[in-house]
Amino acid sequence: MLSVESLILFTGVLLLLGIASNTFSTRMGVPVLFLFLVVGMLAGSEGVGGIEFEDYSLAYAIGTVALSIILFDGGLRTPLHTVRSVWKPAAVLATLGVVITAVITGLAASWILQISLLEGLLLGSIVGSTDASAVFSVLGSGGVNIRRKLADILELESGSNDPMAIFMTVGLIQVLTNSMPLGVGLAMLFVNQLVIGCVAGCAVGYGGVWVLRNVQLGAAGLYPVLATALALLAFGLAAILGGSGFLAVYLTGIVIGNQRPIFHRGILLFHDAAAWICQILMFMTLGLLSFPSRLLEASGVALLISAVLIFVARPIAVFLCGGMFRFSLREMSFLSLVGLKGAVPITLATFPMLAGLSGADQVFDTVFFVVLVSALIQGWPLPLVARLLKAEEPARFRPPVSLEISSLHNVDGDIVDYTVDASCPAAGRQIKELALPDGVVVALLVRGTEIIPPQGRTRVLVGDNVIVVLRPAVRALVDRVFTPRPADAIQLPAAVEFPLRGSIRVRDLEQFYGLRMNAAPDCTLEDFMRSQLPSQEVHPGALVHHNGLRFRVREIAARGTIEYVGMTFSAAPDPAAQTEAAEKTKPTEKTKAESGPAASTKSSKAPDAASDSPERPDSER
Amino acid sequence: MKFSDFISTKAIRADLESESKEAVIRELVQSLLDAGDINADEQEDIIAAIMKREELGSTGIGRGVAVPHTKHPSVDKLVGTVGISVDGVDFNSLDGEKVQLFFLLVSPPERPGDHLRALENISRQLRDDAFCRFLKQSKTPDDIQQLLNEADNNHFV
Repeated sequence: MLSVESLILFTGVLLLLGIASNTFSTRMGVPVLFLFLVVGMLAGSEGVGGIEFEDYSLAYAIGTVALSIILFDGGLRTPLHTVRSVWKPAAVLATLGVVITAVITGLAASWILQISLLEGLLLGSIVGSTDASAVFSVLGSGGVNIRRKLADILELESGSNDPMAIFMTVGLIQVLTNSMPLGVGLAMLFVNQLVIGCVAGCAVGYGGVWVLRNVQLGAAGLYPVLATALALLAFGLAAILGGSGFLAVYLTGIVIGNQRPIFHRGILLFHDAAAWICQILMFMTLGLLSFPSRLLEASGVALLISAVLIFVARPIAVFLCGGMFRFSLREMSFLSLVGLKGAVPITLATFPMLAGLSGADQVFDTVFFVVLVSALIQGWPLPLVARLLKAEEPARFRPPVSLEISSLHNVDGDIVDYTVDASCPAAGRQIKELALPDGVVVALLVRGTEIIPPQGRTRVLVGDNVIVVLRPAVRALVDRVFTPRPADAIQLPAAVEFPLRGSIRVRDLEQFYGLRMNAAPDCTLEDFMRSQLPSQEVHPGALVHHNGLRFRVREIAARGTIEYVGMTFSAAPDPAAQTEAAEKTKPTEKTKAESGPAASTKSSKAPDAASDSPERPDSER
Repeated sequence: MKFSDFISTKAIRADLESESKEAVIRELVQSLLDAGDINADEQEDIIAAIMKREELGSTGIGRGVAVPHTKHPSVDKLVGTVGISVDGVDFNSLDGEKVQLFFLLVSPPERPGDHLRALENISRQLRDDAFCRFLKQSKTPDDIQQLLNEADNNHFV
């Protein structure tokens, strides 16, 4: 056994290597868990590190604690609307899907390895679940944004399917060691796991939220610790009562995460770090535990089993389960291919060892190899697969940094630090012009190294950091003012505008809308716009009013042609409201028409403000 | 002009299934057919006319809203429907966002004024973010119908 000092040294080195391999993984797109395992293997008795480690029960203990922290962290980050929108398909995949995957893989394994059917099923169950952290570290590091619905399903499925795999593994081990017959007892075991896990998880979750809200702790640092304590409590309580601890801890996380307890961000940050440490340590421990030479021996059959798992079992499970819901072929193909395996199978593979089953070595080595293969074969090309199956969506902007108001009381407020970009609507405006909602205060402007106390007439410039205090409820509105718009998007006008291509014929417009536009029928909309505007006024925002329609130059191409014109149906006379409104709108319309070109000079800088204000009389009608 | 003057209650759909632009237009036109607002013989021609209008520029006006519309001689009064797609449909909107909320209009050629007034009404109501948001969150045609009524009674603008 190592001395404490060298243990500390090794842990430090391993953590550093883990962090280094994460950076490497981000660059290369190799799944980080694969690298962690490899580093663990290299540090092990057969690698350069030469650390002797063959303590399966310790590895199991580390694995279990680490997994529960990782699942708790996952739960904390799972918003309730995700649960609500996709819980049905996710639940079916997490239960029935795991069974189907396990059975098919198990049948194949028993045939390939020439072992009994039950042993085969055991192996299948061990590798049956999809790993949450594996899937998301791959997707996150590959710079891929997969579509919301798919991401939500995967997240929920992988967060909640471990209990099923664990239950099947534990059940089968009990059957194999003759401590429980197949049948009613097994079914009871399953029901107990599920029900007790759910009850314990929710009870601890809601109780915990109450405690977090009502207890006054002297130090901020204790709140995250309290949350961790609740996680361990949920796990322990459920497991001791015969339920699924993993399910319980995941549910506790979801409940606590969605109730915004005091020091919410602190809790999140702490658990993010804790989950990282757990991931690194867990995978490295599991890597240490393996013997690369034995893995090599198992590689042939393990490859076959991996192939069955990846290309047969998981797709069949997804297509059978997905068939109950409205998924497209592409979506199901994508879900099939991202069934990455992670730490759960390896941790589960220590179970047969601990139970003293014969052939447990073989199971462990095979499972280990399957996970490695899955991480590489499924993980590496995942970003490409997502692209091919059109499971991607355009990247979202990096959210602005928010700081929580560090009060130990429950303050319903955030401090958000926005960086002002040239494309953000606030750029170049005075603070008083920003139309911020009630309860929002611009607390500070940071320009370079200078701090500017904001006043109403202070102008927000590009490159400024604006620090805003706000209630979370109005965050979305404030975000719109201060966050940059996606680079390729066109500024959205305040009014509802129908985009028309500049190259279309005026004749077509006349036909579609029954208009008379006083222009040669063959001329294009661009020609029409140019004929109505003085040449120096043709730039984005310039307005032409005609027959109660408003045409606005929306986009001018680099070579100077008018690409898009926005058409607004704002002033169409309405006979019902005409009598009095006509009196009001007519004069405004006239001034608008006259001031149109003049206003457009300004509006090229701030199209929103210029086009918005004359609109008001209509919108109030 | 109010929504109740041209939106066909029976044609409202809260669960559009289509995934492409043309398919969703078909689905909406089908809903008008099912509600008895258009003739089966003219269905294809109406779809073609709406697609032709899309060629001038997408009626995806941004913020997840599209208002496909056209004139067609087979209708004798303005008819329209509202549809919600939970997952959204790529409609070539200029802002690149998927469209969840659809207003589809078919108007008789001899009454261009009605056509414009209906579009004006839709435009005016859609300017209200709450109205758009509530519509997109609607789960049933009844919810949508109720929101349209509230809009008609000037609850939003």
